[in-house]
Amino acid sequence: MQSSVKQERQLIQQHERERNYWKKWSIGWNVFSVLTIALAYLENALVPTQETVDNRYYHWFLGAYIAYLIIVYVIGQVTHGGVRSYSGHFAQLNSSIGILLIIQDLITEKFALMALPFFVSFAQILQQIHEDAKLLWESTLSSLGLWAVSFVVGTLLGVFLGLFMGRYRQFNYWAFPYLKVIGIIPAAAWMPLTMVIFPTSYMAEVFLIAFSVWFPVAFMTIGGVQGISKDYFESAKTLGFSEFQIVRKIVIPGALPSIFIGVFTAMGLSFTMLVISEMIGAKVGLGWYINWAKGVGNYTQVYAAIAIMALLFSVIFAVINKVEARLLRWRDAGR
Amino acid sequence: MSLLEVKAVNRILTDNNGQRVPVLNNINFDVEPGEFVSLIGPSGCGKTTLLRLISGLDQPESGTVKVNDKLVTKPDVSRGYVFQHGSLFPWFSIRDNISAGLRVTQGRHFDQALVDQYIDLMGLKGFESAFPHQVSGGMAQRAALARSIIMHPELLLLDEPMGALDAFTRADIQNVIYRVWQQTKTTMILVTHDIDEAVYLSNRIIVMTPRPGQIKEIVTNPLPYPRQRTSDEFLKFRQQIQDKLNFGAKDQVAAS
Repeated sequence: MQSSVKQERQLIQQHERERNYWKKWSIGWNVFSVLTIALAYLENALVPTQETVDNRYYHWFLGAYIAYLIIVYVIGQVTHGGVRSYSGHFAQLNSSIGILLIIQDLITEKFALMALPFFVSFAQILQQIHEDAKLLWESTLSSLGLWAVSFVVGTLLGVFLGLFMGRYRQFNYWAFPYLKVIGIIPAAAWMPLTMVIFPTSYMAEVFLIAFSVWFPVAFMTIGGVQGISKDYFESAKTLGFSEFQIVRKIVIPGALPSIFIGVFTAMGLSFTMLVISEMIGAKVGLGWYINWAKGVGNYTQVYAAIAIMALLFSVIFAVINKVEARLLRWRDAGR
Repeated sequence: MSLLEVKAVNRILTDNNGQRVPVLNNINFDVEPGEFVSLIGPSGCGKTTLLRLISGLDQPESGTVKVNDKLVTKPDVSRGYVFQHGSLFPWFSIRDNISAGLRVTQGRHFDQALVDQYIDLMGLKGFESAFPHQVSGGMAQRAALARSIIMHPELLLLDEPMGALDAFTRADIQNVIYRVWQQTKTTMILVTHDIDEAVYLSNRIIVMTPRPGQIKEIVTNPLPYPRQRTSDEFLKFRQQIQDKLNFGAKDQVAAS
């Protein structure tokens, strides 16, 4: 029986994979996607460049990209696991990336149809990232640290208030009208005040980012708590749960799906606030870097910071997505 | 002294138009330790309402519900309650659901062996780590039953636990309940609208009338255990209950 459960779970996993990664495995598309990236390499190497650029880093990037694709396609060809579903599904998308890389390369550094200083090629961005590697790395760490602290503070505050307001009518009665009015204020509006009220700019930044986070989280948490079927509370009572145990074992897990909706909503707002507050008050961080680059008129640096943000925020998003999938694995997959 | 004493219980609800609707009217009955009593009646006769009053989930407008001569004022772990849809906690595995009551009352070092024993007894071996949505309705209901019975309640209240199941699964759960009752001698009260089920399982059957719910008759089941669903005596007694449920009213459709 143990093995049948395991088998069933594997089947469910496979079913879920097939739903998420629904494009069929196609060797033709796989080969084509590798060819487009290789073509991007050839195009960059062969077509004469009109702007100043060191294309080495772009070549390394494309080489790594091709190597990655070949490896996953080979694994996909010989195995039948997640790698096959995933790489097969995205083969067509990878081809489009190759084509887009060729187009952007041609219209920027090759023919200068969209020219420096306001438009740059991907190769120039990579070169800039390499040149500013140390500063960008420090800025990224600084931004990540600030974001993480603020986001955790804001989320905890939001969950805490939301649980109380969702569970206790009295608390809801007294707190919710005030919190609703305060929470609807855009965090950015507080910016001039926070700069003078808080002793350090770091604290002001934490406040602003946390402020953008707590309200959506609190709001969704309230709804999540109130949406829990009363059957669960009644079952818990007949099983001897105390109020604290009800909150811990019924209210929190029951509200978790909604809490995550709030967290994902808050995430976008928090990234916005992170960049804005760093642009205004900070002396480190990616937001500060952009502002500084703007000051010296180096727009390639602006693009470099934007590219890193795209990567950083995508990784954060993916991590929180994974955490959600793990914590909510009890939910019906066919929901 | 009886285990359960229900005296002159009235329950009145207010409907959407602000009208006060009597749901239960002057309910009186006792249950002795070890008994299996069924509450039977058509939909809306207040049998679930009555069961909720006994559990302490609701309070009567007047009258008293006493267990061991103590007034019932709130739910307690000594009165287990199995809901129609099981209401297993979806975020706990089957095993964690079954041990939920033990964990909260005994703390971290609760009796794991007892949990294993009930998993075996309910035929849930191999499904301990599954989540409720991954198992069949019958298995979920077995787990819900195990979750309550593992707390050794003095009174187990069953609110149509077979109501949402298909015929095969229903017979299976009936047998599980019968076996558990025989083994543990737990006093049980079953709410049902299935006459077969009531006749198959109970010592006594309380027949209720539709709104406002009143006790029409309390019938003692003369059949010896274990019962044969197809025996002549079974069918005869079944017909007897069926007749009592028809209430003589021509437009009343008997539940079954």
